[in-house]
Amino acid sequence: MARISILEPPAIAVEQKAVQITDPVERLRFLRQEMRPHPKPRLIPKVAMRRNTWLMAAGLMALIGLAPLPTGTAETLAKERQLIVPETARPVSKPAVPRVWLVEKSDALEVYSNGLRVDLTFTVFNHPRRPFPVFSLSGGVPQGEGNAPVGIVFHTTESLLAPFDEESNRRLRTIGRGLIEVVRHDRSYHYLIDRFGRVYRVVQESDAANHSGTSVWGDSRGVYVNLNDSFLGVSFEGQTGQVDEITPAQIQAGHVLTEMLRSRYNIAAEDCVTHAQVSVNPQNMRIGEHTDWAGKFPFAQMGLPDNYSLPLASLYVFGFDYDSLFLKVTGGRWRGLDTAELWLGRQAAAEGLETRRYRAILHHRFRDIETALREKGGEANP
Amino acid sequence: MSQIHSHTSQALGLDVGTSRIVIARRADDDFRYESQLNAFVAIPYSKITEGVLQREKVPHTIREGQIVVHGNESEKFAGLLEAEMRRPMTAGVLDAKEPDSLSMIREILTTMFQSHRGDQKKKVCFTVPAPPLGAEGSLTYHEATLRQILTELNYEPASINEGLAIVYSELESSNYTGIGISLGGGLCNVCLAYLSVPIISFSIPKAGDYIDTNAASVTGERANRIRLTKEDSFHFNGFFADKVHQVLGVYYDDMIRSLVTALKEAFTRTSSLPKFNRPIPMVLSGGTALPPGFRDRFEKLLWEQDFPITVSDIRLAQNPLHSTAKGALVCALSDS
Repeated sequence: MARISILEPPAIAVEQKAVQITDPVERLRFLRQEMRPHPKPRLIPKVAMRRNTWLMAAGLMALIGLAPLPTGTAETLAKERQLIVPETARPVSKPAVPRVWLVEKSDALEVYSNGLRVDLTFTVFNHPRRPFPVFSLSGGVPQGEGNAPVGIVFHTTESLLAPFDEESNRRLRTIGRGLIEVVRHDRSYHYLIDRFGRVYRVVQESDAANHSGTSVWGDSRGVYVNLNDSFLGVSFEGQTGQVDEITPAQIQAGHVLTEMLRSRYNIAAEDCVTHAQVSVNPQNMRIGEHTDWAGKFPFAQMGLPDNYSLPLASLYVFGFDYDSLFLKVTGGRWRGLDTAELWLGRQAAAEGLETRRYRAILHHRFRDIETALREKGGEANP
Repeated sequence: MSQIHSHTSQALGLDVGTSRIVIARRADDDFRYESQLNAFVAIPYSKITEGVLQREKVPHTIREGQIVVHGNESEKFAGLLEAEMRRPMTAGVLDAKEPDSLSMIREILTTMFQSHRGDQKKKVCFTVPAPPLGAEGSLTYHEATLRQILTELNYEPASINEGLAIVYSELESSNYTGIGISLGGGLCNVCLAYLSVPIISFSIPKAGDYIDTNAASVTGERANRIRLTKEDSFHFNGFFADKVHQVLGVYYDDMIRSLVTALKEAFTRTSSLPKFNRPIPMVLSGGTALPPGFRDRFEKLLWEQDFPITVSDIRLAQNPLHSTAKGALVCALSDS
């Protein structure tokens, strides 16, 4: 976590002056007066922003770091509340990472202690997972690097579906088999769960799968951009918006698979999210380029909290937006959208900028990261 | 805290807690406090009872064939008549499920402010809880209601976060930099402040009531009785004389652990946490922090964690039952 020192010379001077005031009430009055936010907006020249990406991003981070400035009077409590640091809104009690272990393994099958059975028949290699940068939540500058999966992205295959009944059994099997071949060829996911709840490992976990494209997610450690290297992809054979989107067998299989992966990689519950939550489109700077599991993902049945309530880093760190069509697909506004919008507004206010203008600065931040990743050989837009 | 010079302002500090309401005021160079239980009890109406209450000057109202006794006396009547003591507030805010919450808090405040009334509008700073960590409970109604009642009583109201009030009350020596924690009945309120500026505020819904309710359900005792035992004889010394004390110890530990976890989590997750140039103090306050040994127990459990902020010392407020109201008063005075 990047920490910003607010003990800059003016603050130190204020502190030194305050010490000389013996009357506590007078001292408090002085401090509250002196620590009021500076009204003058601090604009960042656009040209300079382009000149040195990381330096400017760090500068912006410093400005945002100064956001919790005083409000001066108790009358402005509402404003004080805006100083509550966003991350505190995340749940305190999270489901513990379950303990699951491998019981048996053969060339074709792995059996786990929670009943999970993974079919290895179709497993392929892709390219090994590369170290991925972790960007700071406050400024989008790299603050570290990871090399093990930190989360799971849930997908649907958006493929052809046959009615799920006994009469369609043959067709269901044929479609399922064809689907495995396709996702295997494209190295689309690490895992596929077919409609009968069978779990197939498609891409080796040691490798990246091509599942998330241009995408963003943030947790308490920072922000991840383009998640193919940092997140595992789990896909359910299904289509968004269809009746009985997934079958009970798939839910059960998804639950035990999620448990196993969380246990193996110590994945936090807040990092188990849907493709619609992470997918972004840099062309129009909107989220939801892909909309699989834009709503109704059975988080609870996967042993997870309602992660739709988590604020989207794509919005508050990079200024992405969304349109009414996206809201229509989600079938109900996520609470995380509102929270992210709120944070964005607060940050803009702290900067003394209009939200529109602030958003534009954040867009630059994302584009610079995207360019840097591309130059580094990462997947800017796979 | 060093002595406060004379202030001519008639400002008041008001701590509106789930279990008690406290008013703080200046009297010369000293602070004075008045407190009332934030509770009431309804008893069947009779002319004799009404006469006795009037004669004894017990605050009460007549409503729908009942006499409602509120404030400190309610506990006595609840005990005498084995009636259920009710509260206008729960978990730090007005109880939406209590039909009489609004009218009763109005009655209690009216009674308490009666003696402070004057022709001139006085400033009153009242405490409100911070939003709960991990939830987005709305505090707007609670705050707006208190503001309205105080305005009707001819005061000029302003609000202050409970945790911040602790900082204003106790941390003058560190230039109002540090962590203030108010352990009340319904909530534990936390505020990290830097040079008087609140940086992080949050609350957790585990506090005194949580201990009472759970201890009551385990022991089969009434929560009221558990609370009395807790306040009279409970202490942390590693040895428990009876089951009630042992159970209280268990739930106290649970509450402290939850608070410590929440503190760690909130401060760890905070991206814009200031980098302090020296360790900062932490102050514990509120009725739930009163049992002997509480501070030591809290300190032990906090040190077990890899706490993200370097804490210089953990201290108990000079007057744990009144420090929130005092902080509110200091805030009101500095506004005057």
